[in-house]
Amino acid sequence: MAPRVVVLSLASDFGCQVQLSNMTDEILDVLGVIDLGYWQLASSGHMPTEYDVAIIEGAVTTDEHLELLRDVRQTAAVVIAMGACANTGGIPGLANLVDLDERYTVVYGSGSALKVAPGKRAPMPLDEFIHVDYHVPGCPIDTSEFLRVLSHVLLGMKDRVPNLTMCASCKLNQTVCFFDRGQLCLGLVTRAGCGARCPSLNRPCTGCRGVAPDANLESARTIIVAAGHRADALENGLRIYNTSQEVRG
Amino acid sequence: MFFRIIPKREIPELVRGLASQFHVIGPVAKDGSFVYAPLSAPAELRLDYDTTLLPAKEWFFPSSETLMRFTVADNVVIDDSVDETKRVLFGLHPCDVNSLLLMDNVFLGDNPDPYYKARRDNTLIVGVSCMPNEHCFCNAWGTDETHWGFDIFLSDIGEDYYASIRSVMGAELVDRYVAGRPITDDDTAAFQRRTAEFKAAFTNDVDTSQLPVLLDAKFDSDIWEKLGEKCLACGACSMVCPTCYCFDVHDVLEADQLTGCRVRTWDSCQFKEFAEVAHGHNFRDTRASRVKYRYYHKQWGYLSKFERVLCVGCGRCTRACKAQINPPRVVRALQTGLVD
Repeated sequence: MAPRVVVLSLASDFGCQVQLSNMTDEILDVLGVIDLGYWQLASSGHMPTEYDVAIIEGAVTTDEHLELLRDVRQTAAVVIAMGACANTGGIPGLANLVDLDERYTVVYGSGSALKVAPGKRAPMPLDEFIHVDYHVPGCPIDTSEFLRVLSHVLLGMKDRVPNLTMCASCKLNQTVCFFDRGQLCLGLVTRAGCGARCPSLNRPCTGCRGVAPDANLESARTIIVAAGHRADALENGLRIYNTSQEVRG
Repeated sequence: MFFRIIPKREIPELVRGLASQFHVIGPVAKDGSFVYAPLSAPAELRLDYDTTLLPAKEWFFPSSETLMRFTVADNVVIDDSVDETKRVLFGLHPCDVNSLLLMDNVFLGDNPDPYYKARRDNTLIVGVSCMPNEHCFCNAWGTDETHWGFDIFLSDIGEDYYASIRSVMGAELVDRYVAGRPITDDDTAAFQRRTAEFKAAFTNDVDTSQLPVLLDAKFDSDIWEKLGEKCLACGACSMVCPTCYCFDVHDVLEADQLTGCRVRTWDSCQFKEFAEVAHGHNFRDTRASRVKYRYYHKQWGYLSKFERVLCVGCGRCTRACKAQINPPRVVRALQTGLVD
């Protein structure tokens, strides 16, 4: 029997769900192997109470998110963290750079925080709170990686999110290294798996897939400084998607 | 081996002729660098290239290739065909010609790899001479010359190429597509002068004296820890290496989960997962141990089996490694005990 799958979103811009709808060549095949119970972006009904697989996009930024997340973890046999927000805190995590109350004041006016965001929390990725079975990082996700992960879920294979950095992928694409063009590129420390798509489209890596567990940050920092960039260039660059790692230490 | 003089102006004719029979691959410009790519016109061929981003191995052992397709439900192989496209790889420098001979030892040994063999059997090699740049050190290993492993080798002697012809097919193609002329003593003298200029142009001094002894004697040297501190563990060195042959194999299912592909991709001994086995034990858990393993294998392990080191001095890893770990530096560290 096909597993019942739900797709839901916490704090995010739904971009990864849009990516799912962009899988025009494969989506019918995917729908043939799963029982799609709920897709927040596309469903008009409600989330069912029973399901097997939960695909969650977005960061946890409120108590309500946390409650939902814990509830989903109780129900689902498999939880997939989809996208940068769910995996590293992503763009919502930028709020970690300033005082949270102040941030709400800047956006919504003074005294607004309680009204617009009751139970607000410092933005955090899913695995800060629950065990995540599979990870599809990136902003937005790469659909071929998503399909591979989904296949692993269906076969009961383990999560194989790459732990290595981006540089090898760039070499395979025969992209001229951005450091050789005098530009900073975060691929030096960023988790591989997207096929180094941005560099292949002539844009340096911005670290949306998070810092690779196997990265050598200290050596990368030395290399970046030796290449003439500022001493804090690496940390600053990584902040776009990775502040929650700093907050968590 | 026999020889012809081929005027440089006849090269486009030769390429056009070859293109009527083969897929012609050669060095072409890309973003200020060069890559081996299919030629759509003879004018794209850049025989003045310095090096290519990826080596020629890509055309025999692709970075990702489907070994077979299979059905999931009953495990039946539905396609395991090999690539028999007729190709000419035009414009390989001596280092890259030599690198293929080193790959052959691995892929065409007692149990030939059918995928590699099919591409190798169906590809002609046209080599071309070069001048060393600051990263080249092929002279350290004797891979600055090549006397086999090609069908035609073009040595630049000014207005003409001094063409060494190694195979019957190479001879037939030269006869068919270029006029050329026989060599004279003057041509051979020009070839010798050009060779002397080439040999004198190397600036990268790599002292390989007693390298196997040093590798064994300095197995516990702290140079490896120091190199490990620098290494980014990114595997860029392996990807660009013309002699790295390690690969990983995994299955990828189609979206309908009914059929799948068994895919072979390049691997790197610098990846942390490379020596990880079931139950999570990792034989080379540290970057230092992986860098050391790389040099032991290339400069000693392979040598002890095949009597050549597994490096052709092309300098690609020197360009690719942002941590500046490369054979000239590692060999220097072994000689001096210092990581510079």
